[in-house]
Amino acid sequence: MSWFEKLQNLDRRYIYIVVALCIIIPFTFTFHTNTYTTEPVENIYQLIDSYAGREDRAILLSIEHDPSTSPELQPMEIAIVRHCFERGVKVFFLTFRITASPIIDYVINTTKEEFADIQSGVDYVNFGYKPAALYLPIILGMGDDIAEAVETDSEGRKLNNLEIMKGIKNYNEMNLVVEFSGSSYGFGWITYARSRFGANVAAGITAVMAADTYPYIQSGQLVGVLGGLKGAAEYEKLVDLFAVNQLEFSKEQEKQTFPRINNDDILYKFKTARIGMNAQNVAHVMIIVFILIGNIGYFLERRRKNKQGEGS
Amino acid sequence: MKRQIPLLIVITLGLLFMAHAFIPHKISQDFYNQWYREWVKAVSPFAALLGIYSLINVHVRKIKRKAHNWQYSIATLLGIIVTAVAGFGWGSESGSPSSWIYENIMMPLCATIFALLAFYIASAAYKAFRARSIEATVLLAAAIIVMLGRVALGAAITHWIPDATKWILTVPNLAAKRGIALGVGLGMTATSLKIILGIERTYLGGGD
Amino acid sequence: MIETIGIWVAAFLTLSIFSFLYKDNPFYKFAEHLYIGVSMGYGIPLMYKLSFIPFVYKPIFKMHEFILIIPALMGIMFWFRFSRKWGWMARYPMVFFMGIAGMGVPLSMHASVLVQMRSAMLPWENFNIFLIFLGTITILMYFYFSKAHTGLYGKFTKIGIWYMMIGFGASFGYTVMARISLLIGRIQFLMYDWLGFGH
Repeated sequence: MSWFEKLQNLDRRYIYIVVALCIIIPFTFTFHTNTYTTEPVENIYQLIDSYAGREDRAILLSIEHDPSTSPELQPMEIAIVRHCFERGVKVFFLTFRITASPIIDYVINTTKEEFADIQSGVDYVNFGYKPAALYLPIILGMGDDIAEAVETDSEGRKLNNLEIMKGIKNYNEMNLVVEFSGSSYGFGWITYARSRFGANVAAGITAVMAADTYPYIQSGQLVGVLGGLKGAAEYEKLVDLFAVNQLEFSKEQEKQTFPRINNDDILYKFKTARIGMNAQNVAHVMIIVFILIGNIGYFLERRRKNKQGEGS
Repeated sequence: MKRQIPLLIVITLGLLFMAHAFIPHKISQDFYNQWYREWVKAVSPFAALLGIYSLINVHVRKIKRKAHNWQYSIATLLGIIVTAVAGFGWGSESGSPSSWIYENIMMPLCATIFALLAFYIASAAYKAFRARSIEATVLLAAAIIVMLGRVALGAAITHWIPDATKWILTVPNLAAKRGIALGVGLGMTATSLKIILGIERTYLGGGD
Repeated sequence: MIETIGIWVAAFLTLSIFSFLYKDNPFYKFAEHLYIGVSMGYGIPLMYKLSFIPFVYKPIFKMHEFILIIPALMGIMFWFRFSRKWGWMARYPMVFFMGIAGMGVPLSMHASVLVQMRSAMLPWENFNIFLIFLGTITILMYFYFSKAHTGLYGKFTKIGIWYMMIGFGASFGYTVMARISLLIGRIQFLMYDWLGFGH
């Protein structure tokens, strides 16, 4: 048995060890990789940023995932909430998934720790969990009147009584919905809120779904997409570059500047995705090497069989 | 009659709601907002109990029959009881026992089960992804470019890699996904139509 | 203290699931079964508090909207699903939910078919728009199975296959990224939160 054939029949557990090492090692020796930003992410950033300081604009984050996909989606949520808190954009939270309810609390609390002045009911409001049976009634109802469709927030307060609702009636004002999901790309919102009321919809999705969203980006049904850890890392970078410094987005500046992630000025929770992308670099190379080794072995074996066939 | 009346209700409601999408008249708005919405809210909590009953039933029967690996069903039942009691007793707010269970039991379990997939996909990449035909080679080449192009390393090697990735995603990938999406969209519409016209009836279950 | 215990419990359960990579074992089985139970148990009180109380109990018993007794009874009819004799009664609440499919017909047709078709038929201002158009058409041709994929038609469907292969390749590349990201999340937990690296 040749060396390559032996390698071909390698026990899968050795492969698992290599996978684990490829992830662990980059975390023990933190290095820098500069995530470049892409249009789908920049579009979401710019739209949210255009609502800065406006009383008659708000965004809704519809968080529809459970902890299984949190490593990819939670950093995006934290980055967007941080952006809103930095720039004074009103932000609402909602979920139709019972297991996502604590995720919303975690995202809000984690981000809020760094913003002493941010208040619930004034700067943000958590609509909380609403049963899945109300999915359509709420999405469609918000087209007429958000306070009437949602009624109360997670603390049981009537929305109409909250200061944040001043100037916010329906999708005309809450003009961006970002759905975070591991299994959809805001399709319910595209179908009902966009088709019927013209609401802007964006999606924060796991990378598995990312390639499927491009037709909807081109058609304008999705304003933008944050795809997987890379999308989260891009948004983290934009917030650090512009929102934190109260600057307008500039592509030129984005290309030239590189916020270093071993800088202690940036808290760990605000650079989780970028640190993760270090390991992602190594892991992608590992998978490519796996594919190449596997295929080289396959071709060598095929050539040997062909030769044997010719010989006999 | 046990099937006909439910079918008649679906057809009536289905056609009414189809009309509602086209004609947002006040009567139709009120029908939807003040009647249907409130009724759906009142029906929904009971549906959830179906799943709870079903799961408990499966595991209780497994324990009673001492079926293979029945001991683990005790963990499931204890998990349900302890977590539910914690939620009823102390609520689910941050800092409560229920929240502790969520953060330290449910979240790591859920996330780790899915994290196993990373190992399997690596193993599959090594053992199964073979360039057996030209089509498979195209697939692998596209995958490798996208994998490199999505990380900083690709951009560090040459700007062609992120550019090629962008082109793959926004041209051939877009067309492929659009072709498939159109098929799925037509299928969804056809299924909805089949439901409201009473052609698709599997959701009614078996029996008369 | 309680936080430390929590981290250790989470680490133990994480490693129990990972132990499946070596082979199936009692730790994995225990963790897997516990997960099913805890997920269900977590939802029950929330469902009661956030769904039953505000939508059934309060309107009927506090606000005396007695008309809502009818949908509540309809909800109870769901439970007949488990009876062979009375199973048909569960159809009523079911069809009540299904009726909303009517609203989906025009809106999903608009969102996923009409807008997508319109976006595929843009003027060919550049070569990429033509390529997108060609890909969409040839893939639709591929999925039309009432005509044999031979001759000129077969050549077009072949182009469709190439497009799909590139699309699947892109999806595969992204899927690798997704799966690795989930593992990164768990390793970050084990290294930073449990073992205290980087603190």
